[in-house]
Amino acid sequence: MSCFEGQLAGWGAPAPVANALDTSLDTSQTIAALVADYSTALYRVAFSVTRNAAEAEDAVQETFLRVLKHQSRLGEIRDYRVWLVRIVWNIVLDRKRRAKTRPENEDLADHARVLPSGEFGADQNVISSQEHARILALIDRLPRREREAILLSAVEELTTAEIASVLATTESSIRSRIFRARRELSVLLEREGISR
Amino acid sequence: MNAERETWKERIDAALHSAGSARPAPGLEGRILTRLAAERAAVEARPVRMGLFARMSGFAAPVLGVATASLICAVIVVGSVEHSRTRHPGRVAPPVLVLPGHGLGAASAVHPAGPATAPLAAGPGSRGRFTRHLSHPRAHIAPNAKKADGVVVPAPETNPQN
Repeated sequence: MSCFEGQLAGWGAPAPVANALDTSLDTSQTIAALVADYSTALYRVAFSVTRNAAEAEDAVQETFLRVLKHQSRLGEIRDYRVWLVRIVWNIVLDRKRRAKTRPENEDLADHARVLPSGEFGADQNVISSQEHARILALIDRLPRREREAILLSAVEELTTAEIASVLATTESSIRSRIFRARRELSVLLEREGISR
Repeated sequence: MNAERETWKERIDAALHSAGSARPAPGLEGRILTRLAAERAAVEARPVRMGLFARMSGFAAPVLGVATASLICAVIVVGSVEHSRTRHPGRVAPPVLVLPGHGLGAASAVHPAGPATAPLAAGPGSRGRFTRHLSHPRAHIAPNAKKADGVVVPAPETNPQN
């Protein structure tokens, strides 16, 4: 059984629950609606792990290609958002695992681009993006569970319940993981002495 | 110290916010839909290659599989049984032992040819297979050692009426 089919089995429900999408739409329209609704959220999830715009976009496209491949089972999905986040999450983690031997390819320009424009000057933006990149690099040194929880918590669209669903655990576990992650991150930051 | 901790927290929040609120390049949806359309077209243009089992519908494929496996098993069993029953007329039958009326088993069996009354002398060309010299107590295989031709056994009795 493939990873995708496993996800289908996990998220499939015999009785369809109310969904934002109209079930009368045909699959191509359904997929188009999914792209419109969730592509940005999926991009953010992918970007939180890859921190590279091109790789994040490629992961999102790969996600929808998998959806297209298994379009006949779309009707069985209970919660599209959680389901799609889980797919893209597995894709980016798998790619990151395979690219372990490759050098880091973080793109500071990507960090600079995501910062809210107009708040700072160009120089300030570059300094902030560098600092963010270093903090995010420290997140990679956290234990896996804490790292995954804190990265997903960064995505604005995801609630704690949804993060718990994606990581197949409970909400209280997610909250404690995020707390531990932030505490350990503070320790790491103090130890590294990132300049203010 | 607390103020410093707060500063770290703010920085962590800011970094997480930057990662979690990333904006994709404009036109992401369009690019995704274009790629999906291209993939769909490629799938439709691809010639459908279906194997024998893929062409079968419903339970046909499993039924055919089970039937094939059963046939193979049957062939193996029948072949094995037939092979064990095959007679080899050219071969000499084993010697027939006649048990005396009061004997208990093969140890008391009497060979129809009767036991040898004296030790058999070796034939002219026969020599012991092992030689042992006093100087070299270790046994050696004689260079011209020859195995006996075998035991002569009586031919099986055949009933002329059959």
